[in-house]
Amino acid sequence: MSEFKSGFFVGGESCNGRVLVVDDEPDIRKVVRMTLQKGGYDVLEAENGEKAIEAINSGENRLLLDVIICDIRMPKVNGIEAIAYFRQNYPRVPLIVLTGFPDTDMATSLLRQGVVDYLVKPVEGDKLKASVARAMEQRELAHL
Amino acid sequence: MTIVSPTMSHRRAEPQATAQAPTPPPMRVAVIGAGRGGTALLDVLHQIGTIEVVGIVDKIPTAPGLRRAQELNVAVYDQVSDLIKNQRPSLVMDVTGDPTMESVLKEQVPPGTDIINGLTSRLLWLLIQHETTLQTELLHAEKLAGIGSFAAGIAHDINNPLQLILGLAENLTDETDLEAVHAQAKDIIEAVKRTTAICRDLTSYSRRTSLRPDGLISVNGKLDEAMKIARYAVALQDIEIRKHYQPDVVVKGNPDQLLHVFVNLITNAVQAMEHQGILTLETTGVDGGTQVRVSDTGSGIPPELLNRIFDPFFTTKPPGKGTGLGLYNIKNVIHHMHGTITVESQVGRGSTFTLTFPEKTGQSVEGSS
Repeated sequence: MSEFKSGFFVGGESCNGRVLVVDDEPDIRKVVRMTLQKGGYDVLEAENGEKAIEAINSGENRLLLDVIICDIRMPKVNGIEAIAYFRQNYPRVPLIVLTGFPDTDMATSLLRQGVVDYLVKPVEGDKLKASVARAMEQRELAHL
Repeated sequence: MTIVSPTMSHRRAEPQATAQAPTPPPMRVAVIGAGRGGTALLDVLHQIGTIEVVGIVDKIPTAPGLRRAQELNVAVYDQVSDLIKNQRPSLVMDVTGDPTMESVLKEQVPPGTDIINGLTSRLLWLLIQHETTLQTELLHAEKLAGIGSFAAGIAHDINNPLQLILGLAENLTDETDLEAVHAQAKDIIEAVKRTTAICRDLTSYSRRTSLRPDGLISVNGKLDEAMKIARYAVALQDIEIRKHYQPDVVVKGNPDQLLHVFVNLITNAVQAMEHQGILTLETTGVDGGTQVRVSDTGSGIPPELLNRIFDPFFTTKPPGKGTGLGLYNIKNVIHHMHGTITVESQVGRGSTFTLTFPEKTGQSVEGSS
C-alpha cells in the first residue's frame, strides 16, 4: 500500500490508481480512504469543492489523478459546482458522486453530464471499489 | 429605503381607515364572566380590529379571564353595574352560564344596548372552541408540511454516520490490531449515538403541540434548539451565524409553539440568503419585556409585499415549496403570547423580524438547553 501524504499523491508505479476524495465529513474521508487503500489505491483528500480544485491544480496532481469521488452537500464550493469545474477543466478524469441524499433528478442530471456513478451512502466497500475500477477503465479508455 | 410593516400588535382597536369611506368606530363590547369561556372570548375579540373589549367582570378575583384582561390592558370589574355604568358598552356578552344573570342584565343594561346570553352565548362559546381547535390543527399541519423539506438534511445526517459505521464494520472483519479494533468500535458507538440524536430531535419537534398551560421559556435555549432543527430544512454550511444573547431572557408561552416560530423564522432567513450570508440571532430585555430579533443579509422583501406576508396562504415560493401559512401561524402564536411581530426589510440587503413580548416573572423556566 502506498503511503499517504497530505496535499500530493506519492504512490509508486505499483498502485492501482490515484483517487481524490472530496467530502466535508472527515469520518467519511477516513473510511473511504481505508476502503480504497485496501484495494491498492492512493488517496488524496479535500474537505470541500474549493480545496478539491486547489488540490487538483497543485504540483503534479493534475497529471497523476485518476478518479474523483465527490460529495454534493459541502460548504464553499459545493459538489455540483465542483463537478462542473472538473468536467470543464479535467474532462478525462472520471467522477463518482458519493452523497447522503438520494435525489433521482440530480442523479439523472449528473449522469447525463458524464458522471460515472451516483452512489448513495452507505455504500459497501466492494461496491465502492467496483465503481472506482469501472472509472479506472473509463480513464484508460480516455487515454487511448 | 427601510420599510417597516404594519405592526402585528396585540392591540388593534384603532379603525382601519380607507380612502373611500370613514370606518365606523369600533364596537364596544363588555364581557360578563371571566372563566374559560370569558377568557377565550377575550382572546378572540381582542384580535379583531373593529371590536374594542371595554371591560370584563367576574365576582371571583382569581378568575383567569381577569388576569388575561390585565395583560391586555382591558378594564377589570367585580360588579356588573360598575362595568356597564363606567364603560357604556354597545354590546354585552354574558358567558357566565348563570340563569339569574339574564334578569340582572335586564335591570342594569340601558335600552339600546344589545345583550347576548343563554343559548346564543353557548353557540358563541362552541364557535370559539372550534376556532381554537382549527388554529391548533393548522399550526400542526403547517409544521408537518414543513418537515417534508427536512428530507435532504435528515438523509445527509443519517447516511453519513451509516457510511462510517458500515466502513468501519467492514474493516473490523479482518482487522488484527487490537488497538485499532477498540478505536473503531468506539467510533461506531459514537456514530450510532449521533444518529439516534437526530431521531430524538425530530420526533420531539413533530409531535403535536402540548396543551399544557403556558410557562416561562428560556428564549436563548429555544433559539439554539431551533437552530438544530432548522439545519435539517436548510443548508447552513455557508451561513455565518452570529448570536447576541442577553443571558436569562425568558418569555411566557407554549414552548412547542415558540420553537416552531423560531424554526420558521430561521428557515425563512436562510432561504432568503440562498444559503450564503449572515444570520443574526439577538435577544434583549427591553422596558420590562423581551425582544428577539432574527436578521438575515438576504434578498429582502419588496415594499409592495410587506403588508401581505402575514396573510394566510400568501407565499412567493414556487408551488409545492411553501404553504403560505408559516408567517400567518407565527403571527397567531405571537399574538396568543400577547407579543408583537414587526419586520424591517431592504431589497437586496436583508430583513429583520423583531418579536416583542411583555414581561413575565415568577414561574419555573422550561425549554432551557
